[in-house]
Amino acid sequence: MARSGSGNGKRLTARVAVVGAGVVSPLGFGLSETFDSLREARDCVTRVGRFSVAGCRCKTAGQVPDERLLSKRHEGGRARRLHRASHMMIQALGEALEQEPQFKPELAVIGTTSGGMSYGEDYYRSLDRHGSLRHAPTWIANYPAQKPVIDALDAFEISAPCQVVANACASGTNAIGHAFECVRSGRYQRVLTGGYDALSELVFVGFDSLQASTPEKCRPFDQHRTGMVLGEGAAILALENLDLALKRGAHVLAEITGYGMSTDNFHLTQPDPSGVGPRRAMERALESARSTANMVDYINAHGTATPFNDAAEGKAIGELFDRVPVSSTKSMMGHSLGAAGAVEAVICLLALQYQFLPPNINFCAPDEDVDLNIVANEARPMALRTVLSNSFGFGGTNASIVMQKFEA
Amino acid sequence: MRLAIAGMGWITPFGNGVDPVWKRLLRGDEAQAEEITEQFGDQSYTVFRVPESALACIPPHPRLRRASLISRFAAAAGLEALEAAGVKPDSQSAERTALVFAISNGGVIYTKRFYRDIVGAGAQSASPLLFPETVFNAPASHLAAILGITGATYTLVSDSAAGLLAIKMAEDLMTNEALDYCLVVGAEEADWLLCDAYRRWRLLRLAPPIEPFAQIGRGMILSEGAGAVLLARDGPVVIECTHPGGYYRKRTQAEEILKRVLGDLSKTEIDFVISSANGTFIDQAECRALMRITPDAFVYTVKPALGESVGAAGLWQVIIGAQALRYSELPPLLHAGPTIPLRISASRIPMASARHTIVLSCGVNQQVAGLRLGKNS
Repeated sequence: MARSGSGNGKRLTARVAVVGAGVVSPLGFGLSETFDSLREARDCVTRVGRFSVAGCRCKTAGQVPDERLLSKRHEGGRARRLHRASHMMIQALGEALEQEPQFKPELAVIGTTSGGMSYGEDYYRSLDRHGSLRHAPTWIANYPAQKPVIDALDAFEISAPCQVVANACASGTNAIGHAFECVRSGRYQRVLTGGYDALSELVFVGFDSLQASTPEKCRPFDQHRTGMVLGEGAAILALENLDLALKRGAHVLAEITGYGMSTDNFHLTQPDPSGVGPRRAMERALESARSTANMVDYINAHGTATPFNDAAEGKAIGELFDRVPVSSTKSMMGHSLGAAGAVEAVICLLALQYQFLPPNINFCAPDEDVDLNIVANEARPMALRTVLSNSFGFGGTNASIVMQKFEA
Repeated sequence: MRLAIAGMGWITPFGNGVDPVWKRLLRGDEAQAEEITEQFGDQSYTVFRVPESALACIPPHPRLRRASLISRFAAAAGLEALEAAGVKPDSQSAERTALVFAISNGGVIYTKRFYRDIVGAGAQSASPLLFPETVFNAPASHLAAILGITGATYTLVSDSAAGLLAIKMAEDLMTNEALDYCLVVGAEEADWLLCDAYRRWRLLRLAPPIEPFAQIGRGMILSEGAGAVLLARDGPVVIECTHPGGYYRKRTQAEEILKRVLGDLSKTEIDFVISSANGTFIDQAECRALMRITPDAFVYTVKPALGESVGAAGLWQVIIGAQALRYSELPPLLHAGPTIPLRISASRIPMASARHTIVLSCGVNQQVAGLRLGKNS
């Protein structure tokens, strides 16, 4: 049967290499700090201090510390006015370009959910209180979702056009998947991709109002899970036609080999309990990668720790795979929404590079309804060749990518 | 790969239906401005609203019961495009159809209401019903559910270049031979908060008219609605060439990227250009680029008649370009001054031999995109 998602109907014309990566998240600034946090199974979720959470059930989130993130603000000028999200993007892109200074992308495909939302909040509050609107032009100019992407490209004098994908919590993986298909189809040779999101009051309270976030620890796939915690961050991957990358002697971090997406029309905010949406996305990603389920060595799950998500995803994984190791790294850093898929793709890169399984912390008791092999509480060494990363979002968007260790 | 427009739909301040709205544009009509106020102060703004009666065309669906206006607009335009192409939204067609959604400000009315409750009465009063509708991809999700689409669904966020960027993405998706169609929809809803934000950014004027290509950009008037094109392998109008566009760092650099986009798209003779001029700083950038690259082409912008619909604007422009090619005529350009150094006309222009048009979008938030349409011979 023909499918409108990825997987079928494409002529494979190019292999797709990841030649650069950068990340900033509650786990740390850069690949090295992120690896250390994963290896040590650090819980990087802290009490929210950026806005009042007095009326919320949940009081915590994974946060990127401002003292490091905004260290360049004191230099004045443009950097002072940029949104935190722009600083995260600049940081992540800077790290990726340090590995590949000559990387000249033809396109940037970046995921987000809320752009510079906190500037919108500042603007609204000033209007509401009849307060000073002196900074309104700055807030307004830096609010649009494409602004942090343009700021980052501009900071490194990259003139590539950009597409900003807002597919809710699947945005990052959808962006990477689309970028992958652009290179694989042969239409593009080099594409920058990734995702970003900065914590904001509106989104924080929104998830709290849905009772999706938890006042307790985030325990993905645990029998006693009570919900998610939010996070923030940015991650960038530099994708290139593998042949061209090898020809110019680039260091290949990994390959992306497959992408699948599906749309689950069950409900705006809840997945179909049958797990059909996640299952279709994973099946299509495997088909796109010309891989089978038994070739997958590790799954970085969406794993938000909400009862509904983990049940649907767990069911789909349990049906498709045979006891493959699974972890949700959101347990350590929270759910960074539009950045999540990109940050988790970087985590998969590190797992492939250092041959280990990233942990699913705060895990106490397995959920009897889903049969999963959870990487509980500590990182484990493991020979990994093929990994799969999932992201699912509001609106029923489901996305999966398959990554492989590069073997020349 | 051949890409064509198989069906089109829109909902605008003139109402819905491609042909009825087109006739009003040819007549030289201008949408009626409506004054809006807000609790924050005495400042009022004017917008071009979609008339309530136009929403009657949308069949009832559980997903639209509580959905925002923007989702209803999208449903109206999307369903019209499918109907125009003779495509029934059943499981077979849905399986072979992708959806790409263009948006700029999104569901601002529900977002404002949701945040107002938080600011006014605390987090505990925030509505769990409103929050999901504030998410950028809520309208796309509703439309996918209405049409039964289970495959690729993307929402792209940008300024008024969003529509053309979405068509570019659709073109990339259509390299997948398992797809027969890609429905591209752009939608926007107007609100006081947006008007105030754009005014503080010196991009909005308080009352019509929008004066295109004026030496001093006095600003735009916001409008709302949606536009949709169903892309297929064949149709009466062909998308000959899409341009990935780009971004400008400073306003003064917009002209250079516009020239590049126009230059890349004008490898063949261009009969007319559907411009995005909206009464702001972008008009002069477009004017100079058009003078330089396509000096012989007629130029038209719909924004003086229908307003600046941001996320929907690019799709409206594409529909106008396609209609002008199909019916060999351009509508009159409203409120244009006598000294504009471009080929424009205050009355309808017959274009019997027109074969190619460029649709150009220069957004106020730094993004630029373009594409070339051709009559299918």
